[in-house]
Amino acid sequence: MIRKAGYLGVGVVLGAAAAATAPQALMYMSPAAYAAAADTYRQLNLFGDVFDKIRNDYVEKPDESKLITAAINGMLSSLDPHSSYMDAKQFRDMQVQTKGEFGGLGIEVTQEDGLIKVVTPIDDTPAAKAGILSGDIITAIDDQPTQGLTLDQAVEKMRGSINSPVKLKVVRGPKKDVKEFTVVRELIHVQSVRSKVEDGDIGYIRITQFTEQTEDGLKAAMDKLHTEIPADKFKGYILDLRNNPGGLLDQSIDVVNSFIDRGEIVSTRGRTPDETQRFDAKPGGDLSGGKPLVVLINGGSASASEIVSGALQDHKRATLIGTRSFGKGSVQTIMPLGENGALRLTTARYYTPSGRSIQAKGIEPDIKVLEAVPDDLKGKDDMKGEASLKGHLANGAEDTSASQAYVPPDEKNDDQLTAAIDLLHGVKHPEPAVKADAAPAKTDAPAAPAGSAAPSDPQTGPAKPK
Amino acid sequence: MRKGLSYLAYGVAAGIVLVGASHDALRAAGASASDKLALFAEVFNKVRDNYAEKPDDEKMIKAAIDGMLSSLDPHSNYFDPKALADFQSSMKGEEFGGLGLEVMMEGGLVKVVSPIDDTPAARAGMLSGDLVTRIDDTPVKGMSLKEAVDKMRGPAKSSVKLTVERGANRDIKEVTIVREIIHVQSVRSHLESGDIGYIRVTQFNQEAYDGVRKAFDHFRADPGPAKLKGYILDLRNNPGGLLNQAVEITNAFIDSGEIVSTRGRNPDQVQRYSARPGVDLAQQKPLVVLINGGSASASEIVSGALQDLKRATLIGTRSFGKGSVQTILPLGENGALKLTTARYYTPSGRSIQAKGIVPDIRVLENIPDDLKGKVSSMGEASLAGHLKNAGEEEKGSDAYVPPDRAKDTQLEAAVEFLHGAKAETLRSPDPPATAVTSQ
Repeated sequence: MIRKAGYLGVGVVLGAAAAATAPQALMYMSPAAYAAAADTYRQLNLFGDVFDKIRNDYVEKPDESKLITAAINGMLSSLDPHSSYMDAKQFRDMQVQTKGEFGGLGIEVTQEDGLIKVVTPIDDTPAAKAGILSGDIITAIDDQPTQGLTLDQAVEKMRGSINSPVKLKVVRGPKKDVKEFTVVRELIHVQSVRSKVEDGDIGYIRITQFTEQTEDGLKAAMDKLHTEIPADKFKGYILDLRNNPGGLLDQSIDVVNSFIDRGEIVSTRGRTPDETQRFDAKPGGDLSGGKPLVVLINGGSASASEIVSGALQDHKRATLIGTRSFGKGSVQTIMPLGENGALRLTTARYYTPSGRSIQAKGIEPDIKVLEAVPDDLKGKDDMKGEASLKGHLANGAEDTSASQAYVPPDEKNDDQLTAAIDLLHGVKHPEPAVKADAAPAKTDAPAAPAGSAAPSDPQTGPAKPK
Repeated sequence: MRKGLSYLAYGVAAGIVLVGASHDALRAAGASASDKLALFAEVFNKVRDNYAEKPDDEKMIKAAIDGMLSSLDPHSNYFDPKALADFQSSMKGEEFGGLGLEVMMEGGLVKVVSPIDDTPAARAGMLSGDLVTRIDDTPVKGMSLKEAVDKMRGPAKSSVKLTVERGANRDIKEVTIVREIIHVQSVRSHLESGDIGYIRVTQFNQEAYDGVRKAFDHFRADPGPAKLKGYILDLRNNPGGLLNQAVEITNAFIDSGEIVSTRGRNPDQVQRYSARPGVDLAQQKPLVVLINGGSASASEIVSGALQDLKRATLIGTRSFGKGSVQTILPLGENGALKLTTARYYTPSGRSIQAKGIVPDIRVLENIPDDLKGKVSSMGEASLAGHLKNAGEEEKGSDAYVPPDRAKDTQLEAAVEFLHGAKAETLRSPDPPATAVTSQ
């Protein structure tokens, strides 16, 4: 019915984020809509009827909130895999995640044999300053044992309001020394952008997810790279979007704009033509000085990552290296439901500047390079992609095959990164032969797990429909 | 909260039955629930207005109802009009073109509860516990139970290909079966060794009691009351059915006493069913009831009552453990709701929910090597979201009945028992892993 096109301006997300709600509008109905509405009410009445019968006659007193939550989840799961309901707590968690900041200690933790283990304290956080070390086992939080807590519960207990203290008991090292720390929580920023200089002349930028911090993080990273690498030596950028599941749409647009100065970046199209929104580059946004750019993608690059790589590919601004991306071409809007949490609803599809939808297809890299997957991970590292999700939005000829999503932890073994560096050091416009020279063993994948048998010839143009 | 007790009189099922809607209860409920319903309506409207494609209202509401019911227990379902018609015809024992499988949904796949005797499915070797993963090469994952059943049914003589996963190893088998007219014949009977009346009830549909009565008529004529040593009532792999049929059939073997009670949410919702005098058809002759892991619901009411009243000796393996009662609540033109409304209790007051009934004489069938570990019914206690029972729950019990009568150890034990063999000589040794629990 009546739909506010203004949604998109405020807070559309790919994957996730908060947006303003729009007023509901069933009341403004044309007479012609009445017949349809009657059926709609009949359907709603049927639901109410069933709900009442359960309330009255079920063998046990049912939990009405649980019933309604299950009903909403059931309804949304009949739509597509990305529409979902978040209760109040899940909504808060999601906001924290997309905001990229929260009150906490600044440690990455994991669960090992039921114990909470510190992976690493994040630099410049209360945890690091207090002297918490990688490998420390947290046995109690505010005197409550962590045994029996899930990882989520433990993280929840460590987070809290800024300036509030939390007491941690940790066991350290082979001698199992017991230490107690009282740490005051601070505002922790989840770093979405990391950067470093590769080979002295390439600016490497990794975006782990598109949060509210991404744009600022990218600007800071590019500034830093420009001070570290003399302009005359600067060979180009590598933008690493591998295993980046997406995030906020506006952030992905800003990222693209940091590499181009004009042209369309992406358009989103809802149910009706008047809902089409176009997002263009703002002149003066390009911070890259026109230096060559390689974007790394793989089967774990989804959504906002695909907007960025798709736009840069269509504009011929970047060379894409890696494996085919995930293929999530839909936009979700977060619609708050007051005290009841929020609805994450698929409201549009997005299209790259050339007008292609990558939904259930993914973006083909210009140069396909596979990683050498260790034997024990073979077959476990592939991403099945959007086309394999039940109930995904359909999109003509889809690609249901899996795509590799493995990134070696050791950079020396990272063949995709090596190919990117070689390309920036060598030939400007890649020909198949270049890639074959650079990484002959990795282009064909006889030993790759079944399902990843994508054509081994590199795609030099935009993705060919299959 | 008010619940018409008259429901039960004419149609609660242990497994099933039809009742009138209680309109005043509905009205009473509507108001106080409005805030929760308002949330649902808000989400529904947001989806209708804003979803990327025009959504199908009917499909959304059905998915909402299915989602809501699946949060309750595994036996509460929504029947759309077509599913309701199918359900009603199966309760009436009506004919349709099909394979002859009792199925349920488990983990998104169709699981065979039991193949019905003398049907194409049984002859093709389909087994209890088989998971149907594809029907005519279409994956079952994502289908509703009704959709899967619809795909399996079809005109007689047409064929259907099932892909089946069997057992712990998930061996994959492909079976092509030619559909036949399936008459849901719920009772069959014959004489065993000339002097025992064997009555098999495959499910408790509306024909079941009549079938049992006819079986008694046959035995009265041949071999006649004087020669008859006793009866075997075979309830193995009988998934249940109508409560009133279970009560009537129990009454065919006893003349007095309580058969079963059902208890709803409130104390005033207790219903007791007792035997009517003068309809005992078995005339106090000895009785063996055969049960196994596939005997559920109405089967457990019958065997539990006859065990508590010391009227029968139960032989076989522990039963399924479905101790709840579903009521069919009509929804006008929109089909009906099958809702768990009560638990039932045997005359001694025990609930068999998630426990099952333990036979008096545990006798295991000899399972062929290739089927070992593949023919157990996991039972109610293993179903996600099952109603809890206080105390120990029990999972897993054999549910295999050899197709060849000569190899049917449980039936043979029943015959020998009625011929005077001692229970000790018939009992299977307890394997250390599966101890039989006492109640």
